[in-house]
Amino acid sequence: MTILSAKNKEKLGKAVFATAAVVCVIAVAAIFAFLIIKSIPAFAKIGVFEFVFGDNWSPDRLDTYDSPLSGTYGILTMIVGTLSATVGALMIGGILGYFTAVFLVFYCPKKLGRILSAVINLLAGIPSVVYGFFGIVFLLPLLSNIAPNNGSGLLATSIILGIMILPTVVSLSKTSLEAVPRAYYEGSVALGATHSETVFRIMSPAARSGITASLILGIGRALGETMAVVMVAGNAPTYPDGIFSSFRVLTANIVMEMGYAGEVQEGALVATGVILLFFVLLVNVLFRLISKKAVEKSVKKQKSHRRGRISALTKSIKNNISAFTYKIKAVSICKGMALFSGILAAVVLVLVIGFIFSKGMPYLIKNPSIIYGKYEFASENITILPSIITTLYAVAISLIIAVPIGIMTAIFLNEYAGRDNILVRIIRSAIDILAGVPSIVYGLFGMIAFVPLLGGSGSILAGALTVSIMLLPTIVRSTEESLKSVADAMREGSLALGAGKLRTIFKIVLPSALPGILSAVILSMGRVISESAPFLYTMGSVITSIPTGIMDSGATLAVALYQLSGEGWYINEAYATAVVLIVLVLVLNFSAEVLAGKLSKKLKGETNGK
Amino acid sequence: MANKHSEQRTLFGQNISVTGANLWYGDFHAVKNISVEIPERKVTAFIGPSGCGKSTFLKCFNRMNDLVPGCRVEGEFKIGDVNIYGKIDINDLRRNVGMVFQKPNPFPMSVYDNIAYGPRTFDIHKRSVLDEIVETSLRQAAMWDELKDRLDKSALGLSGGQQQRLCIARALAVKPGIILMDEPTSALDPISTGKIEELCEELTKTTTIVIVTHNMQQATRISDKTGFFLLGELVEFGDTDDIFTDPKDERTERYITGRFG
Repeated sequence: MTILSAKNKEKLGKAVFATAAVVCVIAVAAIFAFLIIKSIPAFAKIGVFEFVFGDNWSPDRLDTYDSPLSGTYGILTMIVGTLSATVGALMIGGILGYFTAVFLVFYCPKKLGRILSAVINLLAGIPSVVYGFFGIVFLLPLLSNIAPNNGSGLLATSIILGIMILPTVVSLSKTSLEAVPRAYYEGSVALGATHSETVFRIMSPAARSGITASLILGIGRALGETMAVVMVAGNAPTYPDGIFSSFRVLTANIVMEMGYAGEVQEGALVATGVILLFFVLLVNVLFRLISKKAVEKSVKKQKSHRRGRISALTKSIKNNISAFTYKIKAVSICKGMALFSGILAAVVLVLVIGFIFSKGMPYLIKNPSIIYGKYEFASENITILPSIITTLYAVAISLIIAVPIGIMTAIFLNEYAGRDNILVRIIRSAIDILAGVPSIVYGLFGMIAFVPLLGGSGSILAGALTVSIMLLPTIVRSTEESLKSVADAMREGSLALGAGKLRTIFKIVLPSALPGILSAVILSMGRVISESAPFLYTMGSVITSIPTGIMDSGATLAVALYQLSGEGWYINEAYATAVVLIVLVLVLNFSAEVLAGKLSKKLKGETNGK
Repeated sequence: MANKHSEQRTLFGQNISVTGANLWYGDFHAVKNISVEIPERKVTAFIGPSGCGKSTFLKCFNRMNDLVPGCRVEGEFKIGDVNIYGKIDINDLRRNVGMVFQKPNPFPMSVYDNIAYGPRTFDIHKRSVLDEIVETSLRQAAMWDELKDRLDKSALGLSGGQQQRLCIARALAVKPGIILMDEPTSALDPISTGKIEELCEELTKTTTIVIVTHNMQQATRISDKTGFFLLGELVEFGDTDDIFTDPKDERTERYITGRFG
């Protein structure tokens, strides 16, 4: 320790933190570089125009870059499919989500509202394969009563995606509705408007930009969703021409065909990923513009003179008062919608969990050995023990990689970086981009970057490396949030005593931020457990015996659920796996929430004290 | 290793002398050409209306202004014979020039750990030595009897006044020659304020105190020297009695008689 003088130690510390931050930038650069390099030959061979605007996808797996093409590679049907599914999801999840948020903020008793919000937040963590599985075992049979086919297609996809984006839309809309100043409400009611009129004519329009942002975030999620869609969309590469018509989305294309793709076909699938990434990034840019506008607007509002604000408000209410009289009917419809949505959202969300539990729990109780029993290759003896162990490996390795890098990046950004530094801006954008990349694109990247590097076949290590990048943005952002919540007075107090920056960070700042960081780590565990798309082609997807090391291939629990539900005869095992998955994720998310609550308490000084 | 700081430690005096100090926040000229001699082991008070630069000037003495982005300092600041903007270890400087902030800022840890934080920073880890430092510091801050039975309790559970005195004890634990106080009583009730004022006088036996205050009665009660700041300038500096009974500058007179501020 004496080798380093105090000054050099500080310098070294800063360099280490900065290096971690640069790793995030390198990760983004690598993702783009690998995807583009891998897809350029395919774009060149097929032709960009033919690829994007061709509506015939019939690949020939024998096609190579050296010989003339015999297959055709056009993805327009899938672009249309992706957009239709997104619109469908928005029609269901967006509208339901908006009205649910209104219900929670303005109509629901406080206590019930808190429980409902907590339930909805917890459901954000449910793995997408579980939603897909719910689609297969509950929704499709239900729809098949009225459908010409087994129920799969655009409607089923929209419903499942709608349920999946619901938590995102609800929580963000709720936040922006709650941020509308109370004075608006009072001003309107004081003029004789009813509660519902005020809610829908004043409060909700005032929160418009926040609600729009929540919808856009929902769109982003729907665009990038893979596994749940694959399980209910039917996946024929045709235009969706009816609510029960089978169709294919961009993400599904990658998952469906990557396993057995030929040379050009593989390039075309990576190119599909590039197009998908383009759409998602477009949505993210849109989101950032709108949320920035929302922030600016609220700042301006605060700055503008209070009285001016109120008088403008009364004016707008007076102008609208005649409108009220004939809009009353619309308002009461809206109120009905809010009540209906709130209840429906609760019912749907409880249904997803309840249905799977009611089927899976009895089986699990009757055959508990499915969890710990020895795996045998005989088909009657499927156990999920190998998957549990594979999952544990994946969680451990990805956290060991992602947590230190993420925390150090956050420390660099929050404790060292100046605001207007170009490097800092690059790092922040890199993290924003990482947060937006769909999980299947991470899977593609892992497949073309890590798998060849680690010997050419899927391994637990390759899969874990892939998701560790995916975890970075979550860990960086929530760590930064908790670092920010530590008051500057703490840092000043420490520095004023002659402590150096490193000591201040490690002894004062990090301990205070610890509960928040821990809750981010726990959420990340949940994320690794829930994900399946990034593992399919990096770690392998075959349920085999217990892995002997990190270079073995294997299927995590979520991947196992995907495999089991695809093969009709392991449906009980699938239910049991889904139950295990849900329980794991709910326990993790719940403890993360508890820890985060502890952080705010600690900062208020309510821990031991008196 | 235990001595790595004490070996290289710069020896600081207890008097501060400033010549031609200027400070800018970006384009804003916050401190304008100030020269002043602050005597050792006395209480010196800085008074003046909000935004006049007195706190900013105070923070030059332990270079806390270094933390503010876009802040630029010119002029000569000497503590004893050492130029504190020269080649010195900034942590050494801050160890010698303690600071008490406007709002009490105890760390979210026990009373004991709060006070031991400074000594531990300078590699004192022996329990018996730390015990002694904690007791001496708390006695100096006149709160040993109040706190001796709750040393292991969180400092965040103390009252505001106790927290602020704990922060003073925490500053004393590294044995600084000078303590800067930035409106230390502005967030406190009159009784706690009284206790801290008593403490200031007591501390001048060993320590130089520079205090920024909004409260002119406080300045008259506790300080030996007073400086009046206005718009970044040090308008007048002298014995407290002279400043308040016979101000030389018309602006000082108008301020202390309450005509602006």
